[in-house]
Amino acid sequence: MIKLNETPLRTARNFNINNIKIEDIEFPENIKKFNNANLYLESSKDKAEFLKHDTTLTYGLSETFYKQVTNNSNYELKIDINSKMKNSITLDFNFDENNTNLVENIYIHAMENTKSNIAIKYKTPENLKCFHNGIIKIKAEKNSEVNIIFVNFLNTNSNNFLSIENEILEDAKINSTIIDMGGKNSISNYYSNIVGNRADNKLNTIYLGKENQIFDLNYIAELKGEKSNVNFEIQGALKDNSKKHFKGTINFKRGAKKATGNENEACMLLSNTARSLSLPMLLCSEEDVEGNHSTSSGKIGDKELFYIMSRGFDEKSAMKLIVRAKFNKILETIKLQELKNEILYDIDKRLD
Amino acid sequence: MENNLLELKNLYVNAENKEILKGINLKINKGEIHVIMGPNGSGKTTTANAILNNPSYQKTSGEVIFLGENINNLKTDEIARKGVFMSFQLPEEIPGVSVTNFLKYAKNKISGEPVKIFKFKEELKKHMEQLNMNPKNMERSLNVGFSGGEKKKNEILQMLVLNPKLAILDETDSGLDVDAIKTVSKGIEMFKNDDNAVLIITHNTKILNSLKVDYVHVLVDGKIVATGSQELASEIEQNGYSKFRKDANINEN
Amino acid sequence: MKTNVEEINRNIYDIKNKDDYDFKIKKGLTREIIEEISKQKNDPEWMKEIRLNALEVYNSLELPTWGPDLSELDMNEIATYVRPKSKLNSSWEDVPEEIKNTFDKLGIPDAEKSSLAGVGAQYDSEVVYHSIKEDLIKQGVIYTDMETAVREYPEIVKNHFMKCVPVNDHKFVALHAAVWSGGSFVYVPKGVKVDIPLQSYFRLNSPESGQFEHTLIIVDEEASLHFIEGCSAPKYNKVNLHAGCVELYVKDNAYLRYSTIENWSKNMLNLNTKKAIVGKNAGMDWVSGSFGSKISMLYPMSILNGEGAKTEFTGISFAGGGQDLDNGFKVVHNAKNTSSVVNAKSISKNGGKCTYRSLVRINENAKNSKCSVSCESLMLDDISISDTIPTADVKTDEVEFSHEAKIGKISDQTIFYLMSRGLSEEDAKAMIVRGFAYPISKELPVEYAVEMNNLINLELEGAIG
Repeated sequence: MIKLNETPLRTARNFNINNIKIEDIEFPENIKKFNNANLYLESSKDKAEFLKHDTTLTYGLSETFYKQVTNNSNYELKIDINSKMKNSITLDFNFDENNTNLVENIYIHAMENTKSNIAIKYKTPENLKCFHNGIIKIKAEKNSEVNIIFVNFLNTNSNNFLSIENEILEDAKINSTIIDMGGKNSISNYYSNIVGNRADNKLNTIYLGKENQIFDLNYIAELKGEKSNVNFEIQGALKDNSKKHFKGTINFKRGAKKATGNENEACMLLSNTARSLSLPMLLCSEEDVEGNHSTSSGKIGDKELFYIMSRGFDEKSAMKLIVRAKFNKILETIKLQELKNEILYDIDKRLD
Repeated sequence: MENNLLELKNLYVNAENKEILKGINLKINKGEIHVIMGPNGSGKTTTANAILNNPSYQKTSGEVIFLGENINNLKTDEIARKGVFMSFQLPEEIPGVSVTNFLKYAKNKISGEPVKIFKFKEELKKHMEQLNMNPKNMERSLNVGFSGGEKKKNEILQMLVLNPKLAILDETDSGLDVDAIKTVSKGIEMFKNDDNAVLIITHNTKILNSLKVDYVHVLVDGKIVATGSQELASEIEQNGYSKFRKDANINEN
Repeated sequence: MKTNVEEINRNIYDIKNKDDYDFKIKKGLTREIIEEISKQKNDPEWMKEIRLNALEVYNSLELPTWGPDLSELDMNEIATYVRPKSKLNSSWEDVPEEIKNTFDKLGIPDAEKSSLAGVGAQYDSEVVYHSIKEDLIKQGVIYTDMETAVREYPEIVKNHFMKCVPVNDHKFVALHAAVWSGGSFVYVPKGVKVDIPLQSYFRLNSPESGQFEHTLIIVDEEASLHFIEGCSAPKYNKVNLHAGCVELYVKDNAYLRYSTIENWSKNMLNLNTKKAIVGKNAGMDWVSGSFGSKISMLYPMSILNGEGAKTEFTGISFAGGGQDLDNGFKVVHNAKNTSSVVNAKSISKNGGKCTYRSLVRINENAKNSKCSVSCESLMLDDISISDTIPTADVKTDEVEFSHEAKIGKISDQTIFYLMSRGLSEEDAKAMIVRGFAYPISKELPVEYAVEMNNLINLELEGAIG
């Protein structure tokens, strides 16, 4: 049994949320290069090198997971963004019989005044048991904007581990989207170090659990710059025996004058055996800030369901419609039409 | 006896490091009703805030004289206690403090005398009736959950209760329906006498129809570009501010 | 509103009487010490067993791995039992002069006359005064000190003592069970509505000591009660410890309101445990004002075991310099149609730290339950800390759960608005803070609301402006 994804501050042990304990995780050893990744770079100005970055993490999942990436990664990538993109950089990891394990180390460096769109997708075949453990670090220099989406389409036999760390300097902006669908266990750690004045971070997450899936989302934002801002929006649904732990921490550090932080988490429970645990923390050591959080869980309203069914939808389609509607605000922000369609198709399939 | 209440002398004011007022001159005497009109962003609200020395607004030069005394650097509460009142465009909500308690406390601070609760409540009730306000609002938290109209009426109620020497009404009429505007005008008439004065800040003229106004000033880009009688307001109602903008060398758009 | 300020004087709480006792156990925590306490208290054998067993549990449990730093607490430096020079009295006349004076100054006998149905007063480890109105006795209401209850109602006590709060709940519960002394026992029989509140007041005078009172309240079916607890102590240089335990049983269709104004001195570690078991269609309301203590870890808990049970928690914490108040609420929904409402507020100033820590657990069998939580934190300067750490564990789908929290300071524009009405900056801030606390003070009986406002004014003096 291993413990991982510890919250930045502990609470009572019997609340079962300080960390997650997972049994029988097999760490693959002696893994070969991951050979089925497609990288598409939009502009020739941007530079991509298959090089290892000397990565450090402030939080991360655990020492073991960190070391696996720093010592035994089988995919390494460094990207320097030098352009103002219209389209996107895409990186697709396609797991297959010969590529069942991915341990990636990715570093994205957005230079001053650049704008970039990046999409990273992880996809496994239907039943193949795969393993993913990755670290993705992003540094946004002054006045840069990074729009990045992570899509986890792993099957429910596989395990998904992901650590993301952002460093955001003055007037820079990182807009992240995480579409968290797959994995027997999907454990993610997201940390934003919002250091610059007026630095801004948005994170939109959609998760959708079924069968015995376990999601553990540990999202942390530290606001250090004046007038900096963070906004977490998490929308999810759980069916069957699936389970989700959401741990969201917004930490206003001293000096983050006039900073704002918002986190909103909503969980739709689609079965009476699903379980939703949440811990939305607001930590504050600065007076002149505005922090809000809200969280809610519950099932789809009967009235809502009845209304839609009265328009001729059967119960399942009505349910799908409502779930989709809740996700829509986030889905709308996805610009890559093809990827969006793929996500919509996947949501639909998982809700069947 | 000195008849002058307020005088602004060549007043320059910054807000968020931007120059908003660029040399305002204004004189208000007892018994007068003045109106400052002007398009959005011309500095109307800044004028009101500068008179009450809101710390978010910085006077860079010029003087605010009230009853012969320079009040540039007095704190807001000291200015209020001297007899200046401002009705806010967006009155603040104070949860947990009832209208009655708040006004009783403020009355005590302004008059410097103990407030007799029963007499005070009677007076409050009377004024609320005059302003078509629901007397139940007396016990509600100040402005919390009040509609836009209720908030504005509440400002007029405070003016009547605190009975200042100079009442500055910042956009008190904006966002109100015809009946509510009538009520507000009625409140102003009830308040007004030969010893006090009113400065109405507005960008429309409806409220002026039922009031006898002595002076209308047109404020464009931080300067008073014209002063006239009530007819000036009627002219603006018909033709807008474009003429004055030209005078002030402002390009449309 | 302001007029109260002149009347209040921190000195009332800070009166130090001479550390003059009848018996003070030596410092520390050993089997011999527990046996000695048990002997001094004339425990029946079963109670001695509970104590000795609890000591073992205490030794086997770890300190919490979360929350405030408790390293300052050294049980070898704390005397857990201090018997004052007074026996239990039913008339204030008989209470020794110095002790009586203390309670006089705290206004307890006055409150008893004007607004209470019964009063208990504890001084250090023993209750020195207990009384209840005659008509309540006639209706079968029992209100007495805990020792009397152990002697006279052993069966009731055996069935309820450390049953709501299990001894192994956490380390300080085990400590409490080992060394407990004093506290109140209340039984309200079926159908009896006690209209005016009962109050117990706890005063710790002795330095380097602890208070471990046990409060056990049973409100039988269809009955109702309002119970108030107050506490204070003078300030000493070394830490004092308070590890009380409150066990509340609210039977079917019954109602209990439990109000607390906690004003321990700022050298106190307040590690208190309070829990209620709430029956079918019963109601349990908590009202709590937390002002004192150096460190507080207090999370009252409602266990909604009966269908349709309801609970409400309304609380405020006010932390000033050197204070670490880690407070909150826990609720477990264990039956259908249960509901809970939480309204928690905190104010931090002058380097103080407030933490709201909570748990909402909605179990599989709690279909159609509702829970709504609202937290608001006010920061009065930029050297203080305010943390919100709420956990929610929802295990079934047919529920409505929502949680909202806000953190921030008093806006400059709001202060300007009030100043434009003639209030000084200090008055304006005090008014806003009192208004902020109003949802809690309005839930208290008038005298206590006044006391709370006084405490707020006291805390704000010199802190702002």
